Amino acid sequence: MKRDLTFTINGRMETVTVDDADTLLELLRDRFKLWSVRESCGVGACGSCTVLLDGRPVSSCFTLAARAAGHEVTTLEGLSDGDSLHYIQAAFLEQRALQCAYCTPGFVLSVKALLDENPDPSDEQICEYLSGNLCRCAGYADILRAARVAQGKALSLAGKR
Amino acid sequence: MLAKHGDDARALGGGTTLIILMKQRALYYPYLVDLQTIPGLNEIKNEADGVRVGALVTHRMVELSPVIRQAFPVVVEAFSHIGNVRVRETASVGGNLAHADYRLDPPPPLLVLGTEVSAFGPNGRRVIALKNFFRGMYETALEPGELLVDVKIPTMPANGQAVYLRFSTLSANDWPCLGVAGFMTKENGRCKELRLALGGVAATPLLIDGLDFVMDQPLDDGLIDKVLTLVDVQISPSSDLRGSEWYKRRVAKVFVKRAIEQLNGS
Repeated sequence: MKRDLTFTINGRMETVTVDDADTLLELLRDRFKLWSVRESCGVGACGSCTVLLDGRPVSSCFTLAARAAGHEVTTLEGLSDGDSLHYIQAAFLEQRALQCAYCTPGFVLSVKALLDENPDPSDEQICEYLSGNLCRCAGYADILRAARVAQGKALSLAGKR
Repeated sequence: MLAKHGDDARALGGGTTLIILMKQRALYYPYLVDLQTIPGLNEIKNEADGVRVGALVTHRMVELSPVIRQAFPVVVEAFSHIGNVRVRETASVGGNLAHADYRLDPPPPLLVLGTEVSAFGPNGRRVIALKNFFRGMYETALEPGELLVDVKIPTMPANGQAVYLRFSTLSANDWPCLGVAGFMTKENGRCKELRLALGGVAATPLLIDGLDFVMDQPLDDGLIDKVLTLVDVQISPSSDLRGSEWYKRRVAKVFVKRAIEQLNGS
């Protein structure tokens, strides 16, 4: 069954017609061409389809598009301003925490959600939070370092260092 | 809506189980009834005699709840290991219990704490003790048209302690091979009451029966052996991806013993 869906995507309010069975992943990629949102495992275990729903990380592959109604969805495209990288993206680049980058949007959004919730996590807390994001190329030590650099940047932006 | 469509409809909580099973073509429902449209089901409330958790409270809300951490840290422990953070931001407490999978993490600690669930349906509201809630593999005491609306965890007695131990044989965010929850009250250094519940080793999460004999006994190896024998008689593990029946029986004994020792303070 088709229904109208109004939601906010990367700061823009949009109304689209979706099928009840559409997933948020399908909507974001196929309709909105937001290619940073990827499908890999399809069951919410790998994290490559991660988006932020009202700032919280969810797997868009197991979220029905209809459930985004009235909510705010953020993808990686919504983090940077189009001209310069978000400081978390910059940290991943500087720390070489990516190779093919298929998993990277999921990681960046997850780090964003983590730091928004807890600005001063321990290494263990970072690893625990990111344990649902899988990378087969770069390796987690680089990603942990990038998260630390991003955390430092976030704290200095908040004037705490 | 559930009544109107009968077997064609299913209630949808967080969706982490139902949507995935439907994507895998393991289940199909032409109608999904979105419970997130019902107000008031996503609160955690302190009550005089315990804590009431609404069915649509997410696992992450439980994990981060200061109320639950203060009253039942073992419940925070159980919910915090489910899946990954994205699953926990989505999955609901009610959906978890209504799914009635035999490996779930929350039921063992909730069982040893004497939890009750509230169901609401065409005949009104009723309370079901969690120990009577799991009827079989993926089968609960909910009647057609009934919804699980909240879960009530009674206050632990002051001299009570609870623990949840989870054992995984595959990857980090996977289902456990098994889980053991224990609850003990002590008086004058002797055990007054012991409750044990296990997940992953029977068709349903299992509260162990007949542990009264430990009352006022010293918790020595002999007594623990008797408890392990009792547990071994009551569990019925099946071989699955995470362990053979033989293996699960062996490991269950190890973890029950560890749970008792932790509760006893050794």
